[in-house]
Amino acid sequence: MEWLETFWATYSTLALSLGTNILLALSIYLTLACGLLTVANAAFMGIGAYTAAILTLNAHAPFALAILAGALLAAAAGLAIGRPTLRLSGVYLAMATLAFGEVVRILILNAEGLTGGALGLNGIPQLTGAFHVLCAVAASLYVLLRLAHSRFGRSLAAIRQDEIATELLGLNVRAYKLFCFVAGAGLAGLAGALNAHFTFFIGPNEFGFERAVEILAMGVLGGVSSPWGAALGAALITLLPELLRGLGHYRPLINGVILIVIILYSPNGIWALFQSAARRARATKGTSC
Amino acid sequence: MLAQQFINAVSLGGVYALFALGFTLVFGVVNVINLAHGAVFMIGAYAALEAVLLLRLQLFAAIAVAALVTAGAGWLFDKLIFAPLRARRAPHLAPMIATIGAATCLTSLVEGYFGAETMRFPAEILPVETVSIAGVHITELELGIIFLALVLMALLLWGLKRSRLGRALRGVVESPKAAALLGVDVDGLFRATSVLGSVLGGVAGVLIALYSNSVFPNMGQPMLHKGIAVVILGGMGDVRGALVGGFFLGFAEVFSVAYIGSTMRDAVAFGLLFAILLIRPEGLFGRAAQRRA
Amino acid sequence: MHLKIFALGFLLALGAPFGTGRAADVKIGVAEALTGNAAQYGQPIRKGFELALGEINAAGGINGSKIVLVVEDEQGKKEEAINVFKKLIFQDKVLMLFGPTLSNSAQASDPVAQGAKVVVFGTSNTADGITSIGNYVFRNSVTEADILPVTLKIAAQKTGLKRVAVLYGNDDIFTKSGYDNFKKALQDLKIPVTTTETFAKGDVDFKPQLTKIKASGADAVVLSALVAEGGPILVQARQLGISLPFIGGNGMNSPRIFELAKDNSDNLWVGSPWSVENPAPENKRFIAAYQKAHGALPDQFAAQGYDALYIAAQALKKVKFTGQLDRDRQALRDALPSAQWSGATGPFKFRQALGRGGKPAGYDAVQTAIVMVTRGRQYVIQK
Repeated sequence: MEWLETFWATYSTLALSLGTNILLALSIYLTLACGLLTVANAAFMGIGAYTAAILTLNAHAPFALAILAGALLAAAAGLAIGRPTLRLSGVYLAMATLAFGEVVRILILNAEGLTGGALGLNGIPQLTGAFHVLCAVAASLYVLLRLAHSRFGRSLAAIRQDEIATELLGLNVRAYKLFCFVAGAGLAGLAGALNAHFTFFIGPNEFGFERAVEILAMGVLGGVSSPWGAALGAALITLLPELLRGLGHYRPLINGVILIVIILYSPNGIWALFQSAARRARATKGTSC
Repeated sequence: MLAQQFINAVSLGGVYALFALGFTLVFGVVNVINLAHGAVFMIGAYAALEAVLLLRLQLFAAIAVAALVTAGAGWLFDKLIFAPLRARRAPHLAPMIATIGAATCLTSLVEGYFGAETMRFPAEILPVETVSIAGVHITELELGIIFLALVLMALLLWGLKRSRLGRALRGVVESPKAAALLGVDVDGLFRATSVLGSVLGGVAGVLIALYSNSVFPNMGQPMLHKGIAVVILGGMGDVRGALVGGFFLGFAEVFSVAYIGSTMRDAVAFGLLFAILLIRPEGLFGRAAQRRA
Repeated sequence: MHLKIFALGFLLALGAPFGTGRAADVKIGVAEALTGNAAQYGQPIRKGFELALGEINAAGGINGSKIVLVVEDEQGKKEEAINVFKKLIFQDKVLMLFGPTLSNSAQASDPVAQGAKVVVFGTSNTADGITSIGNYVFRNSVTEADILPVTLKIAAQKTGLKRVAVLYGNDDIFTKSGYDNFKKALQDLKIPVTTTETFAKGDVDFKPQLTKIKASGADAVVLSALVAEGGPILVQARQLGISLPFIGGNGMNSPRIFELAKDNSDNLWVGSPWSVENPAPENKRFIAAYQKAHGALPDQFAAQGYDALYIAAQALKKVKFTGQLDRDRQALRDALPSAQWSGATGPFKFRQALGRGGKPAGYDAVQTAIVMVTRGRQYVIQK
């Protein structure tokens, strides 16, 4: 039992980070699934984190309310931004969302009175527990898996394949894209709000380009074929640095190499690799007499 | 003050334009957003620094060394990442993510070998004689940067329009299949573009490292952000756009500092970028048709 | 029967190492940024620790026991800092730990140590809100709040300045915190500010801000920056024809400024408890030893790391180790506040700080600041 306690004491932050990273990966999975490349999720995470932290620190709001407010405000921001920018496609959308992310970071930096500016927010109450994160992850995975295997999921796949054709076939493509974008923003905001309450302190630089790139890497690594892929991508990116701790100095290097290797050998993500391996296994089983 | 700020804007614009040229070229031809361009920029700076420190070369020779090293990097990018992914018809994002991995690798290698502390060029080598005209100050180096950005742009434009190589490149961009059928070595051209783009980035790295006289492993990051903004402003893939976008951003930043306040400098730059994307996403010179995701 | 004797003997043999009373090593954790942006501070800090470690162990260690440093890389990221702290405290079971490198990280990870009742000793955290976390938090890095007023007063005296312009990095907790302290000190000294400009980390061009400062008619420029930006700022200022004195915070106290700014580095005022020019014998010994080991001059970070281990050693020597980790950790915490030492950074002692709600909390450094001005690529001490 003591082993478990020591293990938890040492690795609880890691476990909780894994949970919130899964949420973040799922948030970008949603947007990637309908063919949108957005890098704004880090900014939405920041909006969620700051909202929730300001509420618990200054207004002494109850935890559940703060988390909900964080997620909702992020989703609202997603709606405000999504409407005009989703007209763009491809790289232009990516860059617009990047610009949005930077603007959010700078606004946070300058709104000193509310956000503490560069000094960030300190002493955030430690309210997130394994239970909260587990519930959030389980609920999100469940909902997304149901969606993926439903008509909604097939519509998304159709949009990803060929937007114009899908539109001609009568689907309101804009509505689907907006839904994915806003839901993704809300998920990212939720992740941010939860994250803020187990790391004591948040600052504006944590929700910038580096974080956006990490989230994107998680999503792409896992692949768009299934929410499980996103979860797997998150797990790899969160846990790899821990497992590689022994290699110390060269940790970022190995991370980079792994990213390249995986993209080269399984560009559709790791989950696709498993799926095709499973398919092959089933096929060979079937042919044995 | 206005005159000095004007000069400041022109020289800052030159810095941005130089960086964006290589970046936009790779996107325009190879259709990849090379997020390792910042790392290549950084490697150019280190290569030149080592050429000066170890081999005791003069400035121009050092820049040539930087060009050589970054050419190699560009060649490797295409050989190891872009070409294999092209052959496999990988999803659009894949090469971009791979370049993030490449950038991390390169930065980490450089940091591991040289250390994270800021290094500098020896005094004798810096062309920092200041020229003062009517109370306005500008250094030789800044003049050189502006001049080089303009010359390179002119060369590239001329090359793309007039030379056989340039025409082949444009043909490949229009339709790789048609070009291949006509016997054009499409892969070779892509590789050449990647090399050229990286050389441009590397040379930009040396010049800007001289400008601030600080060389450190993460120096490519902030430049990359600005570079992306420039390329969007000017239009992805357009060489004139890189130059115009660079100067535009330079002016926007300098004058927002001078007249609005330095805290909002980046907000103005990115806000502008955002606005342009909403009004005219293809930028000033970009192709009007929206690209598919 | 034989089996029983054998079993007993086996068990006794297993227990032997625990019962011989041989002095166990004193395990101390070190969590610093060894990779990433902050490594330029974390690496010198580690070198300072290792230098002191060698000397202390060679001189007999802690009452015969050797100090063993368990070093981990927190990468200058707050999440890594938390992870690394937890590993050192719960897995490696260290007696106390040093670090982390950045004030940013400290605000996140120090509460972990406080909650686990383990002493955390920062050598480079100077921002506010750190020692107020609790009574297990210590630091020997003198806060800007203590140094800047002294620097300003002496610089004002010697240069006769009447009005200043201010330039600071507004996206870094260290430079922003420095700015807040400068602002307060300027108000207390009743020095008017002509204009306040900002820049961001990683910027290469400061001319727009500097041009505006030049046009504002200030007599001096107050600069809150780290050397990476401070160097180019000085160079570009001189290129624009600004010959005003610059008054800097902690970050500008580094011999690297001479490499970065060269001939343009003159007329920079800084205050710090450590100076490479300080002729005190302990300092000279430290500088010589450091140069011999690493082939370069030390900086403030190395000096403070070096002294910190010695300060901790003074307290450790007074602790009677019981072998029970909790008790020993608490005993160390009780012994540390009264530790005194005169090292490379001069005479040192602790002063308790106040936490939330005015309750006594952690411990700050009490040291006298040395004010220096750069002249001919050297720091010249001003009295």
